[in-house]
Amino acid sequence: MVLKLKIWRQEQGQKDGRFESYVLEELSSDMSFLEMLDQLNENLVKKKKVPVAFDHDCREGICGSCSLVINGNPHGPHTGSAVCQLHLRSFKDREEVWVEPFRAKAFPVIQDLIVDRSSLDRIIQSGGYISVNTGSAPEAHSIPVEKGKAEEAFSNAACIGCGACVAVCKNASASLFVSAKLSHLNLLPQGQAEKKSRALRMVGQMEKEGFGACTNTGACSRACPKEISLRSIARMNREYLKAYLSSD
Amino acid sequence: MKFSAGIPSGPLEEKWDRHRFELPLVNPANKRKHQVIVVGTGLAGASASSSLAELGYQVKTFCIQDSPRRAHSIAAQGGINAAKNYPGDGDSIKRLFYDTVKGGDFRSREANIYRLAQISNHIIDHCVAQGVPFAREYGGLLANRSFGGAQVSRTFYARGQTGQQLLLGAYSALMRQVDRGRVSLYPRHEMMDLVVCEGQAVGIVTRNLLTGEVEGHLAQAVILATGGYGNIFYLSTNAMHSNASAAWRCHKRGAFFANPCFTQIHPTCIPRSGNYQSKLTLLSESLRNDGRVWVPKNAGDKRAPESIPEGERDYYLERIYPSFGNLVPRDLASRQAKFQVDAGLGVGPTGEAVYLDFKDAIKRLGKGSLSEKYGNLFQMYEKITGENPYEKPMRIYPAVHYTMGGLWVDYNLESAVKGLFVLGEANFSDHGANRLGASALMQGLADGYFIVPYTVAKHLVGGAAIAESKKERALKETCKEVEDRLKKVIQVGGSKTVDFFHRELGGLLWNQVGMLRSEKGLIGAIDQIQGIRENFWNEVYVPGEAGNKNAELEKALRMADFLELAELMAKDALARKESCGSHFREEYQTPDQEAIRDDENFCHVSVWESKDSQGKDWILHKEPLEFKEVSLSVRSYK
Amino acid sequence: MKKFFLFSIGQKYLMGVTGLGLAFFVLAHMLGNLLIFAGDKAYNLYMHQMVNMKASVIVQTGLLTAFLLHIILALILGVKNYFSRSEKYARQASGWKATAWYQKTLIAQGAVILVFVILHLITFKFGAHYEVVYEGKTVRNLFQLVIEVFQKPVMVIWYLIALLILFVHLFHGLSSSFQSLGLSHPRFDSWIKKLSLGYAVFVTVGYISLPIYVFFFV
Repeated sequence: MVLKLKIWRQEQGQKDGRFESYVLEELSSDMSFLEMLDQLNENLVKKKKVPVAFDHDCREGICGSCSLVINGNPHGPHTGSAVCQLHLRSFKDREEVWVEPFRAKAFPVIQDLIVDRSSLDRIIQSGGYISVNTGSAPEAHSIPVEKGKAEEAFSNAACIGCGACVAVCKNASASLFVSAKLSHLNLLPQGQAEKKSRALRMVGQMEKEGFGACTNTGACSRACPKEISLRSIARMNREYLKAYLSSD
Repeated sequence: MKFSAGIPSGPLEEKWDRHRFELPLVNPANKRKHQVIVVGTGLAGASASSSLAELGYQVKTFCIQDSPRRAHSIAAQGGINAAKNYPGDGDSIKRLFYDTVKGGDFRSREANIYRLAQISNHIIDHCVAQGVPFAREYGGLLANRSFGGAQVSRTFYARGQTGQQLLLGAYSALMRQVDRGRVSLYPRHEMMDLVVCEGQAVGIVTRNLLTGEVEGHLAQAVILATGGYGNIFYLSTNAMHSNASAAWRCHKRGAFFANPCFTQIHPTCIPRSGNYQSKLTLLSESLRNDGRVWVPKNAGDKRAPESIPEGERDYYLERIYPSFGNLVPRDLASRQAKFQVDAGLGVGPTGEAVYLDFKDAIKRLGKGSLSEKYGNLFQMYEKITGENPYEKPMRIYPAVHYTMGGLWVDYNLESAVKGLFVLGEANFSDHGANRLGASALMQGLADGYFIVPYTVAKHLVGGAAIAESKKERALKETCKEVEDRLKKVIQVGGSKTVDFFHRELGGLLWNQVGMLRSEKGLIGAIDQIQGIRENFWNEVYVPGEAGNKNAELEKALRMADFLELAELMAKDALARKESCGSHFREEYQTPDQEAIRDDENFCHVSVWESKDSQGKDWILHKEPLEFKEVSLSVRSYK
Repeated sequence: MKKFFLFSIGQKYLMGVTGLGLAFFVLAHMLGNLLIFAGDKAYNLYMHQMVNMKASVIVQTGLLTAFLLHIILALILGVKNYFSRSEKYARQASGWKATAWYQKTLIAQGAVILVFVILHLITFKFGAHYEVVYEGKTVRNLFQLVIEVFQKPVMVIWYLIALLILFVHLFHGLSSSFQSLGLSHPRFDSWIKKLSLGYAVFVTVGYISLPIYVFFFV
């Protein structure tokens, strides 16, 4: 099959970029989207041109490295999957495909399709953990956890930190990301001791990083490769208010 | 050169406790004066960084990804073993120890494995306290499952994403220390070389992957947790950026490389679909609990699987291993698949696959209960192949998955270079010739959380003092060498891409240093590897400059190291004239294709010392292995 | 507490609370309007009572405050959101991942509603002052004004447009307020959605019935 690509190219250190057109022929529909980009890059290198820079690593939908917006959709058209799980059979022959980086003030573009998502790491640094030193843990069975709670905590912990929620949100809000981590830890009995400070600090850091506010459109949850529920955001709002009212 | 594993004396059960007591302590007030470098943020690296920082050391942590949370430990699916015996089915530290020694086909150290089994329980306690959402029973207690053919249920899991959850736990502990200012984080930094001064590791040289800047970092100890080298095969289940360079650079600086030929081939992966394929995806081997593996009886049978009648199918694992059937260990399942494909019985468009059929399981259990068990795996398969496994049998084929070999370390996880510690998959220590399922996560976390934070003290207290000026000089020299190497690879200015060479090397290794090895094949392979290496240095083309973000340059440097390591793998495979675990030499097999181990001559770790900075010459040392607790026996799964 | 409202979560709380207050007001107002079907006397007397009751000042002040706060917060959040993504995408998300048009245009909807409210006040509250005497009591004859206004097709069409915009604003705003206030539960979420829709439909149909009735049937 043939694809007509429009790829965002932006040089390192430059504030702006442009779309460049590439036509790839004789593609197999079984190819993954990233393998198609590999092929494009190999062709570019052979022609002594600069290959397209993009983040990727595990290529099985779990590391959260990939950060592409394809025809306006973060991670492409499918739900519950990352770009690396997208195959060319999802496109029509001769289709025009626009490839852009995740865009948000808190995710500045570094080069081409690579963005800086360290803002998400800084949010985790501000409380996305349970403070327990190695060696000081009690016996694992001394903390029973209700099965339902454990399952819900897991569903939130499944977040791969890709930032698609930010990318798709009309406000570039990180609410789903922050609320997923907050929910994971605040739902578990182990996370109760730091519940309040965690909510206050993580929300504060999110604010500081320049993410937008939540308009409750739900697009984040629909674009999330792990389909994290919008309910987590409500939980975050609740926990934040509670923490605010009860802290001194 | 003399080296010793440094196994503590005394009864096996007491060795670790006794050793910990004998290790020196660092005064709490002095700890913050010690700078420790950790390279890699997978399970081993993240856990070591956080634990060392908790103890009070100043830690610098490096990773190549944009965030430490993305290291490839994240992709581990199945679970983590521990000897908790929660189900009360007769498990114990001793049994986990025994199973691991036997599973490794008697090519690992008893003392290390016993310690691993002891620590396994603490890992679970710690991870639960961190908030890792392990699967639970209705009573709120932790659930266990049996995994990889183990006869007890000792595997803790978090759906099919155990690696992710454990890594996020370690990552959160790491981030907590970053917040407290005890860990300085260097993401998108690749270690380019080890700085050695007077025989001690005193720092590393890194390249900032965004700016291309070559930077030097000095420290009192260097901890390497950079994973395995499975990507040397080009196609593997490793992440695209997983590489051997950090470990290989340390090897060139004096660290020994042990058992490089022990590479695990996982039997249930999705086969490649074409030449463009960039990596392979693993499907949890739990699928073999209900799926039946088969190929057509007649070579060249091109009919669709559903139209091949029962009588013309060969359920070869059930035929060859009547008692274990489809559940034989990984190495056997993989090898048998290769035998079928080599005999022309392979299926699918490339002919490099066998069927894994759920037809009978659907009949027996119903579609619903099958989807409850394997729904996400079936979905994953369908996403990749576009085929529905409920209707058509899956096509599977083995793929490189894990490397048991790695840098040689002693009981303290210290390499032959003093002050250089190696953890996790990057070292060779615990899995022998074959790793059991759900043991990799256990080892990575044991090394990082519970071993190195203690053993590093020995070097910090006992290491010889070196003048700062000497260290600075060594650092400067190493930086210079790194910059020269960067220039050298760019200056080749050939016409072929790095991937061209990588595919060529990968194909060669897969065929000659993969599941079946032979003397003739290995000798030929060594010759060919040298040829590819020469061509690489004459014909590779790397666009752009070193002083920038340059993905092709990163790949080229890793490739250059793979080309040297490949030769050592082949040499190691050639030197080990026996079949054991993952290492199967055609010359050493019984008439019915079972491995013949040679305990008289090869009950040792092959320890390779680099003699040549060009990576062409090595000296082979042998670390003898003693089995006092477990008697050497032949694995049988018939 | 100051800091609470400096963060967008706090602002959204206030947005939700004021929104719910305004939503309650539009319901009450709509129910009052329905008296038009009971004839001029009932309608005019009710309106007279509403305007002249003692609590009227308090209600009006509260209403104005909520309205202004809602607008100011919308602007603050709007500016923040705008700058959270300085560079726009060349292509918009489509299909399942798309954001609905009525969720992307909330501020524009709000602006139309603001204009509408001002014009509405000019037309009615500060419009032509007719009087009528019921049982010796002189009250303002709003009924007559309403009839006059909605005889004009332009006004009917303008009100229809504005009210449909109010409908989408209410539909998103109501369920969104619950979410902003942290009120979400697996058992009630779908009900909150349905209730929001029902409420918005009820209010809008109630309002629209008035101009339609006047234009076609009076």
